[in-house]
Amino acid sequence: MLRLIAFVQLLLVVLYLGRIGLVGVFLATLCLMVLYLWVTKRSLDKIHTPLKYEDMPWLYDSVARMANRAKIKTPKVYILEDYIPNAYSFKDSIVLSLGLFEVLQENEILGVVAHEIGHIKNKDTLLFPLISYGRYWMITLSMLTLFSFNLRAILVSLILLLAYEHQRVRFFKKREFMADKAALYVLERPFDLKDALEELSYYEDLRIKVKENVLPGIEPKIERKQKKVFMEMHPPYDERIWKIMVEAAALDLMGKLN
Amino acid sequence: MSSMEPHEFKLTEEGLKAVLPPLEAEIMGYMWDVRVATAGEVYEKMKEKHPDLRRSTVSILMNRLCERGLLEREVSKGRGGMRYVYKITTTKEEFEQKVVESIFDALMANFKEATFAYLSKIKK
Repeated sequence: MLRLIAFVQLLLVVLYLGRIGLVGVFLATLCLMVLYLWVTKRSLDKIHTPLKYEDMPWLYDSVARMANRAKIKTPKVYILEDYIPNAYSFKDSIVLSLGLFEVLQENEILGVVAHEIGHIKNKDTLLFPLISYGRYWMITLSMLTLFSFNLRAILVSLILLLAYEHQRVRFFKKREFMADKAALYVLERPFDLKDALEELSYYEDLRIKVKENVLPGIEPKIERKQKKVFMEMHPPYDERIWKIMVEAAALDLMGKLN
Repeated sequence: MSSMEPHEFKLTEEGLKAVLPPLEAEIMGYMWDVRVATAGEVYEKMKEKHPDLRRSTVSILMNRLCERGLLEREVSKGRGGMRYVYKITTTKEEFEQKVVESIFDALMANFKEATFAYLSKIKK
């Protein structure tokens, strides 16, 4: 669907702006590709430390074991100096914040790692940047259609942009569920991911409560400056936990039947 | 005013709880004993008294104490990999001194004559 929307947007620009539109599309694509390469080269900085076997043998071995089960190359693991629990993946690497180790137990950390392995297995580390940059590409093309001075073209272009945004959010949420599902197949104990999500959900709720209730006279600065999110990319914890429980129960049943 | 100075004083509470929320006061009480600890170590200690306590709570409160200036957090690289260790920034005595100074500064700023009168009364 996303590809179709992008293709129609491209057609619209070429149709109404002709050769100038084509040059504009080419330049926009080129600029975004350069930006992507520049950003990915700088994605690891001083606050990311590669994990060595001697640091945490239990984590190192478990990552290798889970990657083997997922039939992917063992991802590199980086530790991020951030006290807020966080995890993400890019290319064939996984980043875990130090805050994660403070809040979760070892088995729960493995649950989070399994989810990130799920993203790598599902090629999300390739798709997510592509679709995110596709958004900027769509915005640029929508702006280009303004030069057509054709109200119908401009309106259609804006509708296409909104449709892309809607589909992008749906796509990201779906891929989160898919990563959760993939994680259940690589984990020794599928409920480790559920336990991790419950603790992370509790952490986020508590952060809000601390901000609202405790000592109103003192401004709690421990809150990371949060961007106001127009459309949430991640599905709610409760929905993910519920789906994991259903999937885990189905896996268990299948195991018993076999 | 440095951030380690108290901003509130609850007349009905005892000890550190008069200037810090109860769990934060307990964490600081332990931290002043051990001086350096990880959030995990503090959690294990606190769990003895509060069995339902969660790691998240301890982590959030310790980071809050860092923002208050009572603790400082640094990355420790050693056996067991990287982790955050928390250290006290002030002794209990220094903190208590700050509490007293802050209260008297506030009293002198708002009720100067009454404060002087009371001080001279208790001096006698």
